Amino acid sequence: MQTNFTESQLADPDTAVANQVLRSCVHCGLCTATCPTFQLLGDELDSPRGRIYLIKDMLETNRPATEEVVLHVDRCLSCLSCMTTCPSGVHYMHLVDHARAYIERTYRRPLAERLIRGVLGWIIPRPRVFRLALAGARLVAPLARLIPGQSMLARRLRAMLALAPANVPGPDPNEGPRLYPASGPRKARVALLAGCAQQVLAPEINAATIRLLTRLGCEVVVAKGAGCCGSLNHHMGQHTPAMTLAWTNIEAWSREIDKDGLDAVVINASGCGTTVKDYGFMFRTEPAANRNKAELISGLAVDITELLTRIGYTPTRPKPGLTVAYHSACSLQHGQQITNEPKALLRKAGFRVVEPAEGHLCCGSAGTYNMLQPDIATRLRTRKLRNIAKTKPDLVAAGNIGCITQLSGDALPVVHTVALLDWMAGGPRPEGVPCVA
Amino acid sequence: MIPSEAEAAIARQVAAAREPLLVRGAGTKFGMLRPVQAASEITTEGLTGITLYAPKELIISARAGTPLHEIESTLAEHGQHLIAEPPDLSLLLGTAANTQTLGGVVATNLSGPRRVAWGAMRDHVMGIRAVTGRGEVIHSGGRVLKNVTGLDLCKLLTGSHGTLGIITEITLKVLPAPEAVGTIAIPGLNAEQAVAVLSAALGSPYGVSGAAWLPAEAAARLPEPIAAGRSVTLIRIEDFATSVAYRTEKLRGELSAGEILDDTASRTLWRAVRDVRALPTANGDGIWRVSVRPSAGPGVLRAVEGATGYLDWGGGLVWLAGPANETTHRAIEAAARAAAGTWTLMHAPDSLRNAVDVVPPESAPLAAISRRVKGAMDPRGILNPGRIYSGL
Amino acid sequence: MITLPDPKPDVLARRDAVIAGLRAAVADAEGVIGDPISLKPYETDGLSAYRQMPLAVALPESTEEVAAIMRFCHANGVRVVPRGAGTSLSGGALPMADAVVVGLMRMNQILDINYADRCATVQAGVTNIGITNAVSDEGFFYAPDPSSQLACMIGGNVNMNSGGAHCLKYGVTANNLLGLKIVTVDGEILDIGGEHLDAAGYDWLGLLTGSEGQLALVTEITVRILRSPEGARAMLAGFASNEIAGACVDSIISSGIIPVALEFMDRPAIHACEAFAHAGYPLDAEAMLIIEVEGSVAEQDDLLARLSAICNRHNPMSLKVSRSVEESLAIWKGRKGAFGAIGRISPDYLCMDGVIPTSKLPDVLRRIQEMSDSYGLKVANIFHAGDGNLHPLIMFDANDPTSFHKAETFGAEILKLCVEVGGCLTGEHGVGVEKRDLMPFQFAEHELEQQRRIKSAFDPDWLLNPSKVFPLRAPAALPRAA
Repeated sequence: MQTNFTESQLADPDTAVANQVLRSCVHCGLCTATCPTFQLLGDELDSPRGRIYLIKDMLETNRPATEEVVLHVDRCLSCLSCMTTCPSGVHYMHLVDHARAYIERTYRRPLAERLIRGVLGWIIPRPRVFRLALAGARLVAPLARLIPGQSMLARRLRAMLALAPANVPGPDPNEGPRLYPASGPRKARVALLAGCAQQVLAPEINAATIRLLTRLGCEVVVAKGAGCCGSLNHHMGQHTPAMTLAWTNIEAWSREIDKDGLDAVVINASGCGTTVKDYGFMFRTEPAANRNKAELISGLAVDITELLTRIGYTPTRPKPGLTVAYHSACSLQHGQQITNEPKALLRKAGFRVVEPAEGHLCCGSAGTYNMLQPDIATRLRTRKLRNIAKTKPDLVAAGNIGCITQLSGDALPVVHTVALLDWMAGGPRPEGVPCVA
Repeated sequence: MIPSEAEAAIARQVAAAREPLLVRGAGTKFGMLRPVQAASEITTEGLTGITLYAPKELIISARAGTPLHEIESTLAEHGQHLIAEPPDLSLLLGTAANTQTLGGVVATNLSGPRRVAWGAMRDHVMGIRAVTGRGEVIHSGGRVLKNVTGLDLCKLLTGSHGTLGIITEITLKVLPAPEAVGTIAIPGLNAEQAVAVLSAALGSPYGVSGAAWLPAEAAARLPEPIAAGRSVTLIRIEDFATSVAYRTEKLRGELSAGEILDDTASRTLWRAVRDVRALPTANGDGIWRVSVRPSAGPGVLRAVEGATGYLDWGGGLVWLAGPANETTHRAIEAAARAAAGTWTLMHAPDSLRNAVDVVPPESAPLAAISRRVKGAMDPRGILNPGRIYSGL
Repeated sequence: MITLPDPKPDVLARRDAVIAGLRAAVADAEGVIGDPISLKPYETDGLSAYRQMPLAVALPESTEEVAAIMRFCHANGVRVVPRGAGTSLSGGALPMADAVVVGLMRMNQILDINYADRCATVQAGVTNIGITNAVSDEGFFYAPDPSSQLACMIGGNVNMNSGGAHCLKYGVTANNLLGLKIVTVDGEILDIGGEHLDAAGYDWLGLLTGSEGQLALVTEITVRILRSPEGARAMLAGFASNEIAGACVDSIISSGIIPVALEFMDRPAIHACEAFAHAGYPLDAEAMLIIEVEGSVAEQDDLLARLSAICNRHNPMSLKVSRSVEESLAIWKGRKGAFGAIGRISPDYLCMDGVIPTSKLPDVLRRIQEMSDSYGLKVANIFHAGDGNLHPLIMFDANDPTSFHKAETFGAEILKLCVEVGGCLTGEHGVGVEKRDLMPFQFAEHELEQQRRIKSAFDPDWLLNPSKVFPLRAPAALPRAA
């Protein structure tokens, strides 16, 4: 597609990347077909192609972001379904990430919105604060229906309170940096991204991951200093905090590499995985030493199901006789193009795996999306749950805490893939999962 | 598709005409729809001959007055055929056999049993030349199998019964004729049962290319004695011989009924179905064709008292013969309307043809469009006036 | 270069009133777009080389809303550009400065599926593949399969009479329709056809199909659905030259086998598509055929054996029969993603859509290559070999105005060549705005005038999809309906 940037505009490295992405788009429109918001809203402006065009026009004219552009870019889930569909290889993620940062820089949101985004961007990456906030939310949740009105703010507040789980687990005694030795001879040494929100909401996921990996001969290190991957801030366009968090992780893992080497950085929340795998790109304009470190970490980053496929997984329990609807998290299937590994592992573990229709569509979770865009998120959730129900499963498995939270609370238990794999390899039965048939 | 002197002569004649013209090929379809009040005839009989045949490109062009059988035999020499299997209704309508022209079949858009699977005549008209009511020669489409250049006047002219233009040359898509034909014949079903079976057959993956049901009386008129006083449900499969053997057997198994007729018997049988030999010959009777969704076919058959008929196209085409009076016609109209379908009066005395709607009347806004389109093609209203709609 | 007529100044002056009128016709507040920033993405469709900002965009959710829009626009002399998914490769949905774009994307409901009568009724904004997806659980499918079938909408398919790779056997859109609900230019809602076969009067269904939005807006469509075959498998054959591959196509058709699809790619196309799909295309071949057959496994084996024997008579460089559904899917992924895949090797392309008698293929490809050399622009050719539909993809750089201008001229020359050898300008993409000015190469002036009169019969004031299909002329010189 034709672009209109001046030489001086292109001198800016971010604009140069945007130009490259835009040039690779041929405006064929295939991406519209698999975009969740286009499916629901039926407006070119809420499709990837429309957003690309809005962003292109905004960048070409050097215009500060306007309300119209912000509306439609905000509605993007960053599910990256469009990237799976695109035959021309348009890197939509880099374009929309840039646009979000550009918006944050040039657009002044209404006060209430700034507050919400600021608060979310500050609380969620900090587990202790987040845990306190959840407990508080729990206390006031019954008041949610008292929040009056249909304003976006009111709906967002109600959505946030609705998402707060009924029981917030207390801090895991094992939370924090630690080394978990391999049982038996050490076959590999990996760093686990302990993450932020996940270890508060569902500490059992990290526990299952560590149990399973150590049992399979991995030494697992939760590195000192590593924490939130930065994606939450990144996706809200909060560039500086995102880069700070990312760099903290890069440094923490680099120290582990220097200490005893690392075979992989393993991630069990696929939303984070997509971002860690992009660290190399995020630090592309940094001095070579930093850039190289970031690239090295990105190269080591693997999803837990990739790692298990690589090192080999075998169940030890008899077949559970359960049907699992596998929900493919967008960050796994589109962001990281991982589609077969989780299903193959679940089958190997002895589950019957079914795949709901419209598997390419996002469930509406998308980081903070279900709090910031509650209407669209709810419609997507309903649609997803309906498709899952049609497959008549006993439970749902997903590889991302966001999806698990979003889809929970309906008729079916929703658990992390790794928890099921751990169970079948000798770990405890995940909570809510029916007994072996 | 090349101009010819005969075509130019027709154009001159139309341009010079001051009064309505009856457009005539071989005259085998004069009995259809409404009678035309015309001062003189204009004929396509001078327009004969195949002008292009490219078997490897699946294309044949011929002038409109070319007898259809000539085209069919040329195709047969190359192992090809007309996809829509147009019928020869001469026995039914009491006209001269083997004389109908390509132009006549296209102008009336007549298709045979294969229509249900492979499309109508209109689906295979790739190109057309015609003389408009202005006396201008126009062409639409061409000699290739795919063409969306400009408005599709091929479709507009096909089935327009000579009211919008005089078709002078036609290019058709053709296909290799199947190596073998097989039939599953199931005796004794009533119409509803039969349509359910035909629906299952047409909804099977075996490429059914003919699906008809004939009550006992109609079945008795078929050349092959297959049902001995009972109704018969017929399902045709055409393909390579091995495929036909496999598919007829497989489908019969799935339907768990019927006997399989061999290639020779099948060909004879389906030719008779094609030519509507299962209806009593017209004589003084009226003949109607009703097109409805297949599941509504049996209801139409039953709704018309005093008429006899049978079902083709899986139930969607109802052929009816009955007393040529308004009562029968109104009953047929009502039945077709109730099933949201259409009717065509194929044959009747002029008195009835003049008195009734020979095809469903159009809603007021659509009728207005029809008038304007007629005006666009034939501003003086001289081509077959009144043939389809009174006053048009 | 494509010229667009000057917008009507009075309509531009009434812009706010037009937007207010549209708001009255469309219930949802977000269903009318009037601000310039939000209108920008609507300035083009799948042919992004041509762009024009519309006056406004309306996104109705029902036939009644479409009718209300049309009544308003008709009463106020406002032109209307219908739009589906905006995937047209001929600029069929290119806006006009004084026209309202009516986007039917929100009308995406499947209204009825009738398996007994093998048809389905859907709204215009349902995607082509959406119909198949809705009926595939019962083993049915909707046959026409344009390459953009994932995204393109059935309303657009009807208006362009879209084809696809499988129309050699199953026909194009026109052959697979039973009924339409249309809205006329003055806002009348009309039903055309229904669930039955063939019209008794004039074949409006046939005329409306492929009419490129010139005659009416299509809001609902009843399509035939077919039972899927027992199975299908594709084979790939690579050849040392276009001539040999062309001769092989002739032999296949002459043998009496009609493969369900018969696709031809030349060397640049093979390379671009393989890079995207990893389907095992023969990278050393000059030309490749994708041949697909259907039936039971035994029938497939039988047909593929016959076809292999035919191919072998033409000394193929490679011959590969797919062994699994996955392999066949990969083969088609490459073909169906071909246009986008070209986007990986060239920033921009123009996709031509001429049709030629199949016997002329080698000759035409040679002449296209000569033109390619003389213009200095690369071209990849994809060809529906069974039906003669040729898609040369001309690669250029849109940021270089000379390059685009050369590509346009090159494309026009190819299409003129198609007509010259007995073919036509467009097989399935439509005339749109792209080929509008080439129409006189295929039609005499009096023939175009005849088509214009038909247009006038439906749209006396020429408000529908202006400046497409017919070469421009002054409004005063347009024919009026009789």
